[in-house]
Amino acid sequence: MQHIDPEHHDGTSDATPGGELDKRRPGELAFAAFLLLASLGLLWSAFGIENPFGPNGLSSPRSIPVATTLAMAVAAAIVFLTTVRLPLDNAESFAKDILPGVVLLFVVFLVAYGLLLRPLGFLPTSALFLVASIKILAKRGWLWTLGVSLGSLLVIWLIFRIVFTVLMPAGIVPEAEFIQFFRGLSSGGAEQ
Amino acid sequence: MTALMDFLTVVTQPDLLLLVGLGTFAGVYVGAIPGLSVTMAVSILISFTFAWDVYPAISLMIGIYMGGVYGGSRTAILLNIPGAPSAIATALDGFPMAKRGEAGTAIGVTTVMSFIGGFLGIGVLALAAPLVSDFALKFQPRDYMLLAILGILLVGSLSQGSLVKGIFAGALGIAIGAVGRDPLTFAERFTFNFQILEGGISFIAVMIGMFGVSEALLQLHHVDKDAVRQKISRIVPSLSTVKKHLPLSLQTSAIGVTIGALPGTGGDIAALMAYDHAKRVTKNPERPFGDGAMEGLVAPETANNAAVGGAFIPMMTLGIPGDAVTAIMIGALFIHGLNPGPMLMIDQPDMFWFIVGCLVMANCFMLLFGLTGIKLFTKIVEMPRSVLIPLIMLLSIVGAYAVNNAIADVYWMLGFGIFGYFMRHYGYPLGPVILGVILSRLLDDNWRRAIISEREDLGAFFAGILTSPLSLVLFVAVILIFVSQTPIWGRAKSQLFKRRDAQS
Repeated sequence: MQHIDPEHHDGTSDATPGGELDKRRPGELAFAAFLLLASLGLLWSAFGIENPFGPNGLSSPRSIPVATTLAMAVAAAIVFLTTVRLPLDNAESFAKDILPGVVLLFVVFLVAYGLLLRPLGFLPTSALFLVASIKILAKRGWLWTLGVSLGSLLVIWLIFRIVFTVLMPAGIVPEAEFIQFFRGLSSGGAEQ
Repeated sequence: MTALMDFLTVVTQPDLLLLVGLGTFAGVYVGAIPGLSVTMAVSILISFTFAWDVYPAISLMIGIYMGGVYGGSRTAILLNIPGAPSAIATALDGFPMAKRGEAGTAIGVTTVMSFIGGFLGIGVLALAAPLVSDFALKFQPRDYMLLAILGILLVGSLSQGSLVKGIFAGALGIAIGAVGRDPLTFAERFTFNFQILEGGISFIAVMIGMFGVSEALLQLHHVDKDAVRQKISRIVPSLSTVKKHLPLSLQTSAIGVTIGALPGTGGDIAALMAYDHAKRVTKNPERPFGDGAMEGLVAPETANNAAVGGAFIPMMTLGIPGDAVTAIMIGALFIHGLNPGPMLMIDQPDMFWFIVGCLVMANCFMLLFGLTGIKLFTKIVEMPRSVLIPLIMLLSIVGAYAVNNAIADVYWMLGFGIFGYFMRHYGYPLGPVILGVILSRLLDDNWRRAIISEREDLGAFFAGILTSPLSLVLFVAVILIFVSQTPIWGRAKSQLFKRRDAQS
């Protein structure tokens, strides 16, 4: 296959990006170690599963969790040991290729979104999120940013409220009253 | 006769037909916009159609799936970025054609060929699935257990990266699926005494996180790339072009549907094998392969669309998906109370024929939307990533929240999104995780059923496997994958890639 993308991504969305087969990416070893420790922790936790109705035999709720976490731990150990042996890829750096500033920023944005969703409500939180992120990514004027983000938010809100009837937390915006108001307005308009 | 009526359900109900059309339309664009994938679209969509009736929800999702498989070829031709793994081979000759200014012709031929391939695949599905499910009725609990393991292992071994990472991912998925109170004994599993974990982790949250947020985070690496403008004029291909390539398209469709029907192999491998086949049988291509040969476009596109019908065979009759997209389709069926497997064909044959009908209609819509609306298409594809990425993230959050109206699901989704982002970077396949979560319950239940019926005697359990031919075959298959470590298909795949490399 031709090399399609210069940034260690082969462009196919479902494929895993990156790296060279015989080299270790920055942070890969730490990730492998983390997975190994986490698997061992889960394995220990799986052994603690107690069958309330009888012995912890082969048919108890413990068996499959123990088997899977054991498989995880063994696989993670093998991955860890293979990764240790690979030479580090010096062409890449963790801050540039794995977790660049913009990705970190968006992780913070997403967490902030999750924290604010309940107290502020869907519309204000999403508006803040979209305006901030589109402004940062597109680097264009405020008018464009506000227009695009608020416009698309309106479309999303209309589609989900009306077509999919998804109820998001209303927060500080009296959404229901809004809809009622517009309903009243449109029926009032029809009478004229 | 009832089968025919069920088959025609989608045609006789205008609202369902509209949804298939809408889905296909959306699928074509989702598949074509770089940065959006079918997996992502279907996983996010599941949460929104959660409250719908089964028929409308399935109509919409099948439309998106069919359209998306086709849509991936567009970006492969125009930008040399395959929109889906199954379009990798399409880029090899499609992009050179576009560079010569023949993007219109390339898209036209791709569309018609995808249509032909799609139809043949669906035909085979309609004929073969009932037979396969009759056979699958003889399966015992241990066979289901082995099949579930086999499916997870196959998906793990076929993804890029190593089998060990695939096994890890699959086991992780099963463990995630086991979180919460055990449905049989009410024992707490992996809850760490947190009340929030007792109900388990919503697999939709896992799915949206892994395929929505992690993908969007990854796309941030490419945010500054310009959208590519292409001038496309006439795209409807001439009848003579279609006629000329018809024999080849029939052969490659056969390859596609066969490869697609093997559990664990999907459109990507089918397309690459078809491309290879075309290269061998085409004696005098107008242009050399890799330089814009029409045959190099016809072969993979017929094969990957034929593989859709093929992939539905193991998915519907055994409940074993071929790749991440079919895994998510299984998830979608689960959510609507359907249980893909041999019992589905017996309990609800209407559902099977309805799905076949939807596929047929989606295929027709694909032809329609593929050959029209090219002006609108170029506009939409030019949508900048700087707007697209925040929107995907927003939709992911709304989707995760919508299913249970629970903020905890949003946190799970974000957590798995960030975790999935690192998994992608370090070469851990995400498909097996989803498959593991989905099959966890089936695996657990069938293992316990099987071992209880043998009175917890492991010896008797293995004796049962060795004396039943079916169990033995499945068991040997599982062992083969495990022991070999270098799966045959994976090796074949990498060899194909190597050959490509040598030639390009």
